[in-house]
Amino acid sequence: MRVFGRYIMSLGLLVPATLGAQQQGITRALDLERRGDYAAAAQAYRAVLSTRPADATALLGLERSLLPLNRSGEMLPVIRAALAAAPTSSAVHGIALRTWAAADQPDSIRSIAERWARIAPTDETPYREWGAAELARQNRPGARVAYLRGRARLGRPDALAAELAQLALADGDYPAALREWLLAVRKLPGYRATAVTTLGQAPERARADLLRSLADEPDLTARRIEAELRAYWGDPLGALRVLTPALPADRTQAIAVLRGLLDQLRGLQTSEAKQAQGRVLEALADRSPALQASRLRLEAAQAYSAAGDRGSARRMLGGLADDRAAPPAISSGAAATLVEVLISEGRLEEAQKRLAESRPTVPADEYDLLRRRLVMAWIRAGDLARADSAVAADSSVAGLALNGRIRLYRGDIKGAVERFKAAGPYTGDRVEATQRTGLLALLQPLEADSLPELGRALLQLEQGDTAQATAALEHLASQLPPSHGGAELNLLAGHLMAATGRPADAERLLRVAATREAPGTAPAAELALAELLISNRRPGDAVDVLEHLILTYPQSALVPQARRKLDEARGAVPKT
Amino acid sequence: MKRREFVFRGCAGLAALHPALAWPGRWRSSTASPWLLVPMDDAQTDHLKAYGLAYRALKRGVRAEWFLNYRSGAFLLPSDTATSRDAALAGVTVEPTDEGQLVEIRGQVQGGNMDAVPLEKPPKVAVYAPPNAPPWDDAVTMALNYAGIDFEKIWDGEVLAQKLRTYDWLHLHHEDFTGQYSKFFLNYAGAPWLLDMVERNRAMARSQGFPSVPAEKQAVAVAIANFVERGGFLFAMCTATETLDLALAADGVDIAASYADGTPMDPNASAKMKWNRALAFHNAQLELSPTIPVYSDIDGHQVNSPDRRQPLGSFSLFNFSAKIDPVATMLVQNHRQVIPDFYGLTTSFTRKTLKSSVTVLAEEPGAPWVKYIHGEHGQGTWTFFGGHDPEDPQHQIGDAPTDLSLHPHSPGYRLILNNVLFPAAKKKELKT
Repeated sequence: MRVFGRYIMSLGLLVPATLGAQQQGITRALDLERRGDYAAAAQAYRAVLSTRPADATALLGLERSLLPLNRSGEMLPVIRAALAAAPTSSAVHGIALRTWAAADQPDSIRSIAERWARIAPTDETPYREWGAAELARQNRPGARVAYLRGRARLGRPDALAAELAQLALADGDYPAALREWLLAVRKLPGYRATAVTTLGQAPERARADLLRSLADEPDLTARRIEAELRAYWGDPLGALRVLTPALPADRTQAIAVLRGLLDQLRGLQTSEAKQAQGRVLEALADRSPALQASRLRLEAAQAYSAAGDRGSARRMLGGLADDRAAPPAISSGAAATLVEVLISEGRLEEAQKRLAESRPTVPADEYDLLRRRLVMAWIRAGDLARADSAVAADSSVAGLALNGRIRLYRGDIKGAVERFKAAGPYTGDRVEATQRTGLLALLQPLEADSLPELGRALLQLEQGDTAQATAALEHLASQLPPSHGGAELNLLAGHLMAATGRPADAERLLRVAATREAPGTAPAAELALAELLISNRRPGDAVDVLEHLILTYPQSALVPQARRKLDEARGAVPKT
Repeated sequence: MKRREFVFRGCAGLAALHPALAWPGRWRSSTASPWLLVPMDDAQTDHLKAYGLAYRALKRGVRAEWFLNYRSGAFLLPSDTATSRDAALAGVTVEPTDEGQLVEIRGQVQGGNMDAVPLEKPPKVAVYAPPNAPPWDDAVTMALNYAGIDFEKIWDGEVLAQKLRTYDWLHLHHEDFTGQYSKFFLNYAGAPWLLDMVERNRAMARSQGFPSVPAEKQAVAVAIANFVERGGFLFAMCTATETLDLALAADGVDIAASYADGTPMDPNASAKMKWNRALAFHNAQLELSPTIPVYSDIDGHQVNSPDRRQPLGSFSLFNFSAKIDPVATMLVQNHRQVIPDFYGLTTSFTRKTLKSSVTVLAEEPGAPWVKYIHGEHGQGTWTFFGGHDPEDPQHQIGDAPTDLSLHPHSPGYRLILNNVLFPAAKKKELKT
């Protein structure tokens, strides 16, 4: 008895010691693998497997370590031993499948999958892993056999639907992919995003059939996929049209459906997408509690405003801006959006009044931004006095830049140049800064301090009257020496002609601008001329112009760009 | 110019080394610098276009020189108006050089492992490519276009009609001369570009009276080998290297999968190959599986076989004696000695499959493969360069084209262009 007792005790001591040693072995093997010493890691994993042949961690580690050594074939005897030791282990069967796939033994793959399926008769995993092993061998037909056998054996028509959908997509069979995705999403709604993204890749010619098939399906799942696909393919209003009648009566469910579409729409920047966003946000607001609804209505107003639907924007903003009960962030946001809407509607007096009223609530940066937008709106309306008085209190560099523009449109060249220089090259966004630098380049060669005709022409340009502006610029250019602004004005007029689809006039003006008398302007004019000729499919003429540019003005900063264009005109660089 | 002429007309070149004796009158400029030195070291702003500058100078009928190993393979061109203008337009760096400076350069060339090779006549260049091949899918076409070197495209019809006789230099890229459509037939089944490739090849084989595409491609391979034997210069890249030799060696052996010719590949094909017919390789083991896009163990990297694929390293160019081995020296002129490797359907060439007569121009040190090889066949020469695009190391089907204006100093592309100018050289007896 005492002896037996000692035996029990020693076993009690031995068991934890063995487990501890094995644990150490795994830790060491993982560490070796992490350090990239795959040969030593493989040896360490083998040591663990020698005592526990079915240890899943060691088996997986050995599989990983042998792969970079190009010795995956060595897994075969190891996995046979593991299967003998643990004939019912799913983990071991999974590794066995991959091992036989790597060894290119299709019969073994099939038999191990069937054996695993007998152990787990209600589980999809054996068939999923079998299919994956076939795909690793680039055997899509084999994978399909595996999945379909699984579906038949499990007796569930939606079993392995996501896998079959992916397979159909790889074959370019979009109708089949849609059928399978519908089964998969009905079973597991989380698949919807993947279904939409993958079906979204369908070529244009296949899309109408897919939408027709979806329309034939009666349930909400099909409606949601249809709506999100329509949005994905650039028809956001169509998406809304099919989804709205199908919205469930249950508020929570309806919100989830609308939010799904909203996520899809947020990635789109077209006017239609903004309009659809506004409608979805409005529908969400109608189904949300008061505080949340205010925020959603504000967002809806901003979306409508961005879409140019000022009426809907104003409808959303109605009351929000003046609602003293609304949170400050919402009411100030509403006030700012309302000012933007008023500016875009051309109701500048009202916008100015609203802006002044909102000063205490709107953050300072946003207020300044709105005030500058209002100044630009006054400028575009031709009321330079109101613009001047609106910007008078603005002593920021952005205000200086705006002030320079007002001087310029009044024809005060000297005042404009001074203010543009003071504003520096970085004020405003990239477009504004580039535009201002371009204006400085245009104005600096001019000798006159005042040129009202130029101011009027540039104001017409700002107001969108390109035809009048171009004619005025050309007329003024003819009165100025090329080296003192004449060439620069012709270059600008040439650019405008090209942009408004008058290539012949553009070419004429650019050729006039490309005069040796204005060596600072001529390279830019020749480059612009070459670009015009290339776009008008006259590469031979463009080559002549570019060669002239490179050889005549070798020190110009535009020469590298000209060489690149020359290669393009000669067909020496591929079109991307 | 055929290689035989290239060898025997050589000695007269020495007389041409003095400009006052041999250069055309318009070269004898009254200016202080009658020469333009085109440096090919790091001072050069566009290495690739420099080759085009030299080529066009030759085309205008002037003679140039290639200073092997001097400033990484500089060119000497006349300082005439046309050349100066061309250099300015191309953005190629040229250094005006007077007689005194030239004497000094020649002294350096004479005293070091360098040589001066007269360039005489621009080679007439043909690029073998199917009519629908996009121009950006072939590194050589892109290099020729970018450098401004003229070439003509030919395909099977022209090759089988003996049109190769009219060209000096022929380039092959990723054509599969075993007629198995790059072994993409099963893995890319249904892809429109593959359907088009298959249909074009089948139509060509039918129109030429061959029973199958593999049979027709083998006839094309033989015609190309005959072109080299008669004195032509052959430059091949990517899978054209390996499959050309396989097609040549497979005389009477079925090495094509059943999808290509209706009969399965001979399981004993490796043992039956007639390697004496091949240009570069021997004793290779052929891949028997039609589903694995690999041809044989000639390629060391096996990029399309996931379990055999080898990672990319770098390859080093060999240094040759410029005065003893001018051809090999010409082919490795570069401003970089070690170049990052790049994949192709055939990326490299295993050493064990190289014939003993092959000259290795570049290798990956310590690896069982080499990258760039050269040899002679009859009166002509061939050069094989593994990989698809030196500036797109992982090139995939459908990748955006490589824009060489972003890689004007590409050392890999320089190796291609060395090959284009090499037939223009006139030189003394070759020792390689």
